[in-house]
Amino acid sequence: MELYLGIDVGSVSTNLVALDPEGEPYLAPLYLRTQGQPIAAIQQGLSLISDQLTGRDRVCGVGTTGSARQLAAVLVGADVVKNEISAHAVAALRMLPEARTVIEIGGQDSKIIILKDGIVVDFAMNTVCAAGTGSFLDQQAFRLNLSIDDFGTMAGQAKAPVRIAGRCTVFAESDMIHKQQMGHTLPDIIAGLCEALVRNYLNNVGKGKEIAAPVVFQGGVAANQGMRTAFARALSTEIAVPRWFNVMGAYGAALLAREKFQELSGTKFRGWQVSTVSFLPRSFECKACPNGCEVIEIRQGQEILARWGDRCGRWSIAEAETGQNSAAPARG
Amino acid sequence: MIVIRIGIPRALLYYMYFPLWRAFFTELGAEVVVSPGTNKEILDAGLQSALNEACLPVKLFFGHTAALADKVDYLFVPRLISIEPKAYICPKFMGLPDMLRARINPLPSLIDVSVDFSRGNRDWYSVLSLAGRQITSDNNLIRKAYSSARAAQDLFQKQLEAETPVLEAIKRATGKRAPDRGGQAAAEPGCLCIALLGHPYNIYDDYISMNLIQRLRSLGVRVITADCVPQQTIAEQASRLPKKLFWTLGRKMVGAAHAFYDSSRFDGMIYLSSFGCGPESLVGELIARWARRRPDLPFMLLTIDEHSGTAGMITRLEAFTDMLKRRRKREDHLPAHGQPVYSSQGVAVQTGDRPGAATAYLQENR
Repeated sequence: MELYLGIDVGSVSTNLVALDPEGEPYLAPLYLRTQGQPIAAIQQGLSLISDQLTGRDRVCGVGTTGSARQLAAVLVGADVVKNEISAHAVAALRMLPEARTVIEIGGQDSKIIILKDGIVVDFAMNTVCAAGTGSFLDQQAFRLNLSIDDFGTMAGQAKAPVRIAGRCTVFAESDMIHKQQMGHTLPDIIAGLCEALVRNYLNNVGKGKEIAAPVVFQGGVAANQGMRTAFARALSTEIAVPRWFNVMGAYGAALLAREKFQELSGTKFRGWQVSTVSFLPRSFECKACPNGCEVIEIRQGQEILARWGDRCGRWSIAEAETGQNSAAPARG
Repeated sequence: MIVIRIGIPRALLYYMYFPLWRAFFTELGAEVVVSPGTNKEILDAGLQSALNEACLPVKLFFGHTAALADKVDYLFVPRLISIEPKAYICPKFMGLPDMLRARINPLPSLIDVSVDFSRGNRDWYSVLSLAGRQITSDNNLIRKAYSSARAAQDLFQKQLEAETPVLEAIKRATGKRAPDRGGQAAAEPGCLCIALLGHPYNIYDDYISMNLIQRLRSLGVRVITADCVPQQTIAEQASRLPKKLFWTLGRKMVGAAHAFYDSSRFDGMIYLSSFGCGPESLVGELIARWARRRPDLPFMLLTIDEHSGTAGMITRLEAFTDMLKRRRKREDHLPAHGQPVYSSQGVAVQTGDRPGAATAYLQENR
C-alpha cells in the first residue's frame, strides 16, 4: 500500500497518522504524549507504525506540522512542512467540506479558523495568555482530584451551571472555591467552568469573528463533553466533532503530503530506521555578536543534520540542507 | 582640532529624523555616533536601567543610550513634545532626558532641546539652532548646516514615498549609498502585497520586530508601510475621523489605514503593536474595528514584548501568507461580478451563508 505520513509535534502531544492513497487512515492514528522529548516521541511513533506494516507498504510522502515541525522534518525527512492553521483547516474540510468555522483547542494554544468556499479566509490564535486552553482544564481537574475524562461526563449531569469568572485561571480558581464553599454541586461548578472557558475563548480568540455554522470543534479539548455542550449552547448551533478530532493536525499534514505527491517525483522520507538511530541534539550560545543566540544542532553520528536558532543565518543549515538531503535515499 | 562626538540612540524617532539630525551635526563639524542595531546586550541594559512600567520601545531607548554613554561627548536627546500643530507625541517621550539622568550614571551632557511644534510657531530650525549653539557660536554655520539637514530629510522623505524600505532610505539620505528610484525592485511582479502598520520604532527595529519585514519578504511579500503614504494623503484620510486624533503617530496610522483600505493593491494588513502601549490600545482597536467591516482584506494583529522565541511569530506569518495565497488562487476562479463559476462544494456552500443564530449571538455581544 502507498502511504502518506502526517506528523504533528505539539507541546503536549505528538500525533501520527498514516493515510492510504484515498486519504483515509490506514492504521489507527497515534496520540502520544510529547513529555518534553519531541525526538523520543517521534521515534516512538514511527516504530509503533512500522511494526504494523508489511513489506508491501511504502511511504510516498511525509508532512509535518506543530511547533516542532522543523525538528520533525529534519529527523524524518519531510516533503511538506506546514503551519498548524493550514493543516487543521485542510483536515476539517476533508471531514466536513461545507465547514465554515473551526474551533481548535489544544494544550497550550487555541485557534479559530474561518472558512469560506473551502479556503481559510480568516484566523486568530490566542495571544499572550493561555487561559482559554486545555491546560487550564487539566489544572482544575487536578485540583478537584478528577480525571479529565470524568470531568466531561460530570459536566453533563449539571442541573444549573454556576457562573465562574473566566478571564484568567487565577480568578477562575478563586471563584470556583467560593462557589464550592457556598454549597454548589460539583457538576454545576464544572459545567460553569466549561462555560467560562467558552466565554473566554469567544471573547479573546473569537473576538470580532463571524462564527457561522457548520462549526467543527477539534483538538484535544474536543474530547470533553462539557466543552462541546457549552459551545453548542453559547453558539446556539450543533457542534460537529470529527472522528479523529485529537489528531487533526497530523491528518491535515498527511493530506498535504498526499496533495504534494502529485507534483513530486519522490519522497524525502529517510526510512523507518530513523526510529532506532540515535540523534544527538545539543545547543550552544554563539559568541560572534552581543545577541548571544542559542543555536540548536541536531547530529546523527558525525553528520550534522540541521542547525537553527541563530538570527543572522551563520549557523543555520536546516533550510538549505533538509531540502536536498540526498544522504538517505527514500525507502519504505 | 578636537572633533566633538555627538551620540544619537538608534531608537524611537531615530527612524523618522535621523537624516535631519545627522546632517545638521555633521555639517557643524561634529562626529555623529549611532548606537549599534538593537541586540541582546542593548535590550538587557534597557530592561535593567529603565523603569518597569515603561513600554518596550522606551526601555530600548535606555539600552541604546547606555551603549553610547562612554563613547561620546554629548548625547542628542531632544525633549519630544509635539512635531506638528495641535497633535502630540506620547508623553513618555517628553520625560526621556529626565528619566535618563535619573537612571543612567555616568551620562554625558545631554543636548535636550525641547521639540514643541504644537502651537505652530516653532520648527526644526528653531530647535536645531538652539542645539547648535551648544557646540558653536557661528550662526552662519548653523544656518548652512540646517539647509543641508533639510535637504537630507527631504531626500529621505522622497525615498520613502517611492516605497524605498526605511533602513535603505536612511542609508541613502545619509550618503552611504547612491539614491535611486528603484524602491523595492527586488519584489517579483504579481507577488503578495501586505500593508504593515505600527510605530516606526517597532516595525523597523529588526530585533524586537523579530525581523518581521525581512521574514515577509522571504515569504515573497511586498511590504508597504505608513511611511510610503504621502503626508498630504495621511492628513486628508485622518480627517475622516469625527474628531481630530491627539497623537501624531496614531494619526499617521489611522490615515495610512484608510488610504490602504481605499487602494485595491493589498492582499492583507498586519498591525504590529507593542504590549502596554497606551495610544495603541485605542488606535489599534479603531483599526481592528474597521478591518472587521472589510472581510475582503484580512487583518492580523501581532503583539510584541520582550519575547525572544520566534516560533509563534513564524507560525502566524506563514499561516497568514498561506491564507492570502490560497485566497488569491480562489479569486482567479471568480468572475468580476462576484458570482462563483467554480466551487468544489457545489450547493453546500450556500447553507452556511445564511447568518445563523451563532452569528447573531456574537453581534449582540460586540
